Amino acid sequence: MTERTVEILEDSDRFVFPWQLAIPNTYPAGVVGSKFLIELRDNKKIKGIKCPECNQVYVPPRSTCKYCFGELSELVDVSDKGTLVTYAVSYEPTPVQPVEGTPVIYGIVKLDGADTGFVHMLGEVDPKQLEIGMRVKAVFKTKKKRVASILDIKYFKPLKI
Amino acid sequence: MANEPAQEYIQVTYKKPRPYRWAAGEYLSRLYRECRDNKRLMTVKCQHCNEHVWPPSKVCGRCKKPSGDNWVVVSDKGSVVQFTYTNFPMFDPHVGKYMTEEHPFATIDLDDCEIYWVAKLEEKDKDKLKPGMRVQAVWREEGRGGGLDHDILYFRTIEE
Repeated sequence: MTERTVEILEDSDRFVFPWQLAIPNTYPAGVVGSKFLIELRDNKKIKGIKCPECNQVYVPPRSTCKYCFGELSELVDVSDKGTLVTYAVSYEPTPVQPVEGTPVIYGIVKLDGADTGFVHMLGEVDPKQLEIGMRVKAVFKTKKKRVASILDIKYFKPLKI
Repeated sequence: MANEPAQEYIQVTYKKPRPYRWAAGEYLSRLYRECRDNKRLMTVKCQHCNEHVWPPSKVCGRCKKPSGDNWVVVSDKGSVVQFTYTNFPMFDPHVGKYMTEEHPFATIDLDDCEIYWVAKLEEKDKDKLKPGMRVQAVWREEGRGGGLDHDILYFRTIEE
């Protein structure tokens, strides 16, 4: 059996248990989700999926249109540049944040050519300089570090015009 | 289509630790201290309904009144009421890892008190497990102080 750690409160001799509840999880990305992640890894390209009926482009791609419930298969390229729709700055570190260190800036970016917002992080920017509507650009990891994960995109950085 | 290479499918894995702390409180800590220092089970008898409160708690689970200060020693022998056989080690949320050994879990009716407690059994052969079998707690000799289900390794079958 694994050994436990326990804290004993001073003066009262009471037990406090630091628990470590790990939740390892694996899920399949699916047909179009896999293609999206493979494109990120191999070609540094962000793919969307188009519904020809509703003329909507979803990023990240999904297999069913949310309006007409039609099956989607037409992958299209979208730009790695986009417009910041909204953001949130998190100064409090949590064990579930996707990257180390704080602050973590989460943002929703509407990429050029897409009709949906894409949730990711923002970097190389002072939180005070953030502005809704600002232009941002995806920064990818180096080829060796890309592993077909959504974090193959490091973050979005402001695009200097 | 037939010559097209099979698509690669991606598995998204993540491992998110959820660390947190919980305090055992006054009554449970007393039980844990007795386990650690004296290798015995103690609990409180409710001052109102005169029944054993298990696990020891400031409020009696039966009558919902303050259970008082009448601490008594409880036998670490008992009879198996029911059991569950497991083929894999259980998860220990204290450390975020799986236990190294699998053990059957059983509800044990401790002697001379109305305490039913779910604990591990030493006997792994499921053909030898049966309701009503007599068991006794096996205490950890070294490194006690990790709580009740840590200090008691498992319950061992005894002949009586």
